[in-house]
Amino acid sequence: MVSFIAGLLDATVQAATVLLLAGMGELISERAGVLNLGVEGMMLVGALGGFITTVLTGSHWLGFGVGILLGMILALVHAFLCITLKSNQVISGVMLTLLGAGLTTFFGSGWVEESIEGFPQLTLPLVGQYLVGIPVIGEAFFRSTATDYLALGLLVVVWYFLHHSNLGLEMIAVGEDPEMADTMGVSVFRLRYLAVLIGGGFAGAAGAHLSLAFSQLWVPGMTAGRGWIAVALVIFAQWRPRRMLVGAYLFGLLDALRIRSQSISLTLGPDAPLAGVINPIVEFLMNPQIMGTYPYLATIIVLAYAVIRTKSDQLAVPSALLQAYSRETD
Amino acid sequence: MSEHTTLRMEGILKEFPGVVANDHVNLSVERGEIHGLLGENGAGKSTLMKILYGLYSQDDGDIYLDGERLDLESPQDAIDAGIGMVHQHFMLIPRLTVAENVVLGEREPATAFRSDAEDSWLPAAVRNNSLVQSLAGQFSLGLDVPEQRIQDLADQYGFDIDVSAKIWELDVGQQQRVEILKALYRDVDLLILDEPTAVLTPTEAERLFDSLERLTDEGLSIIFITHKLTEVDAIVDRVTVLREGQNVGTAEVSSVTRAELAEMMVGREVLFEIDRDAVDLGEPVLRARGVEATNNRNIEALSGVDLTVRQGEIVGIAGVSGNGQKELAEVMAGIRDVTAGELLVNGEDITGAKPKTFVDSGVSFVPEDRLQYGCAEDLSVMHNATMKDFRDGRFGDRPFLDYGKLRDYAETLVDEFDVRGVSDVTETKAGDLSGGNLQKLILAREIYRDPDLLIANQPTRGVDVGAIEFIRETLLEQRKAGTGIILLSEDLDEIFDLSDRILVVYEGEFVYETTPAEADRERIGLEMTGGGDDDGGEAETSPPPSGVTQGSES
Repeated sequence: MVSFIAGLLDATVQAATVLLLAGMGELISERAGVLNLGVEGMMLVGALGGFITTVLTGSHWLGFGVGILLGMILALVHAFLCITLKSNQVISGVMLTLLGAGLTTFFGSGWVEESIEGFPQLTLPLVGQYLVGIPVIGEAFFRSTATDYLALGLLVVVWYFLHHSNLGLEMIAVGEDPEMADTMGVSVFRLRYLAVLIGGGFAGAAGAHLSLAFSQLWVPGMTAGRGWIAVALVIFAQWRPRRMLVGAYLFGLLDALRIRSQSISLTLGPDAPLAGVINPIVEFLMNPQIMGTYPYLATIIVLAYAVIRTKSDQLAVPSALLQAYSRETD
Repeated sequence: MSEHTTLRMEGILKEFPGVVANDHVNLSVERGEIHGLLGENGAGKSTLMKILYGLYSQDDGDIYLDGERLDLESPQDAIDAGIGMVHQHFMLIPRLTVAENVVLGEREPATAFRSDAEDSWLPAAVRNNSLVQSLAGQFSLGLDVPEQRIQDLADQYGFDIDVSAKIWELDVGQQQRVEILKALYRDVDLLILDEPTAVLTPTEAERLFDSLERLTDEGLSIIFITHKLTEVDAIVDRVTVLREGQNVGTAEVSSVTRAELAEMMVGREVLFEIDRDAVDLGEPVLRARGVEATNNRNIEALSGVDLTVRQGEIVGIAGVSGNGQKELAEVMAGIRDVTAGELLVNGEDITGAKPKTFVDSGVSFVPEDRLQYGCAEDLSVMHNATMKDFRDGRFGDRPFLDYGKLRDYAETLVDEFDVRGVSDVTETKAGDLSGGNLQKLILAREIYRDPDLLIANQPTRGVDVGAIEFIRETLLEQRKAGTGIILLSEDLDEIFDLSDRILVVYEGEFVYETTPAEADRERIGLEMTGGGDDDGGEAETSPPPSGVTQGSES
């Protein structure tokens, strides 16, 4: 049992990192008023690009960098379409996801058999070996890949950036009321581009982490909807970085459970009272496909709860999300 | 052009598809003067000022500030040149604090990185390094020093503002003050004020005028956009009048009469006197007893309000903004829940009923914020005009709507209420109408359904003289037709001109009742600010006996 929980936590941390990286990017982009539904595509491009680079050069860090870069290149297309051409953000995002999936399936077909030496599991210097010794959680939290630590560090950076820096304040302002920001001398155009590019970089990093640290191989469509979960995660977190940490680990745990659901038996023995009623329900709830919907279900519940409970200031959706801005419209 | 000229705008031309918003307009402003910019809604004042603030670029013409030609690509250029603007529609982010709204774009670094910080742990050499300053300005944010500065500015000009409050917690008047603080914080040389007093009470406006005069004494120049001729008389030195995008002329205020200015503005003579005929009071349409309600912050805003309104009666409610007027209006319109008390409309108790029940009971409502609550900005004039009535069967058999009928109805409203700027009722969006015309459209929608009770909250705020005249006449006609009207206004003249009874609201209670004939303005001013004497001040809100005829008091 202990080893099962330790393994589950380990998988949770790994799954959470993917969501955390992609979610942070989405969060920044949306706070600036641009919805990015292309995360899934940007993750795939980052995953394949990172993987191929690592195979060719043997450097997983170089691969990680290329992953980020490719995510940003795809994001640049999104930014150009949505900010410069003021086209529909939803359409552009969905198109980019489909584009990313199609391109990576085509170009990635020859790389499925390849293997790489990805990110190794590390312990923290000095105190690491003692921390790893902590029962149950030690291995999961203190023997991780560099990208796991990086994601947590970046979360602090993102939180600080958005809520304690001038650029962050300007970005939030641009997402709330671009016209107001413009009259205060803030460049809506530049900040939105910046936010979308940062968002794409994060998505690319999430994809690269997936192929270089999480599974250490390339499979077409390997993101398996995690990009969409990242979009849901931002809503779940109500556009706040700190809540995103909780959400990422919760969703990561659900993901880890889903993969392991076959090996868990929670059904009652055939002689137990009500076994005939309860067992089918448990089986249904533990079905991997059904478990895959839990993050979305949780997001719907949080969304409903937030709308019912909150007053105008706390409803966290950026007011100008999905709104293109141009100065001279009369 | 005298040597004191600071701003010159020459031959400014700006065209929008199908409209010439500014047709070779000239404007010159002298240093240290308050220059009035007068004109009806849609006359091109805002467009001209948006060009000056770098929001629009002109198609032709030049701008000179202190002799130097300005090339304004963006508001940042205008800010750098020392031009500040307080916009007509609030440019504030509700979710952020006062301080955050004010410093936005100023790149205030964390306190330790400030070059003027006294006790920073960083050596001055590091702090004053331009790279360090640039990085700190982007990647840190210090609000302590700015908050103190904003608070000092607020105190200096007598603005009652908590700098750490969120904007949504403030009332409209306070939000306006934050707008002015935004400009003052940027040490501007030329300040554009787009109808700054529209939301201030007379006392507050007086205080603002004092502040503005103090600013001009220090050499600041002010462009003051207004519709109120009384304000032109009160503080403006010279005035430029625009009509239909053209410059009608510039004049020394001391050398023109109010009537002349009004005629320049509207292009015809304007009546200032309103004839109020006597109207017989009928049955009570509204009885409110012991009504209590909370505001958006869940703090008690109405503490036991009794109010009766009769057919053919206009009850004017005066008060300083933020004393419960907004909540009072919303409670009576059925869109804010009461926490105690009861509401009877036409004798029927509909306390706690849905807004639709209020609508169906004959309650009409003209809200304070016409863009946010009065209309659906992105929907057409037709949709907005029929929004309250499309269900009542006149427009086709349910569940289908006859768009031809909806259209005819909307066109009737537009014609009868003289709503201008509508090319096609199904195409023109409500949000594209100018303030005065949108207000006429909303009033048309609310009045054409022949309501028993009409609640009008600041119906003439921010609209031009022509529209004000029209709106006031419409309210009086409606009174004649037997509608009971609650008029909430911060314009005391309006309250005096239109009301049969005047109630003063202070901190969520009626503290004084009078009639325009008996009223003493000073007493009302005192009561509005809580300074009334307590012995005789308790409100007598019982209505006069049924059938009493109110005389004409205009």
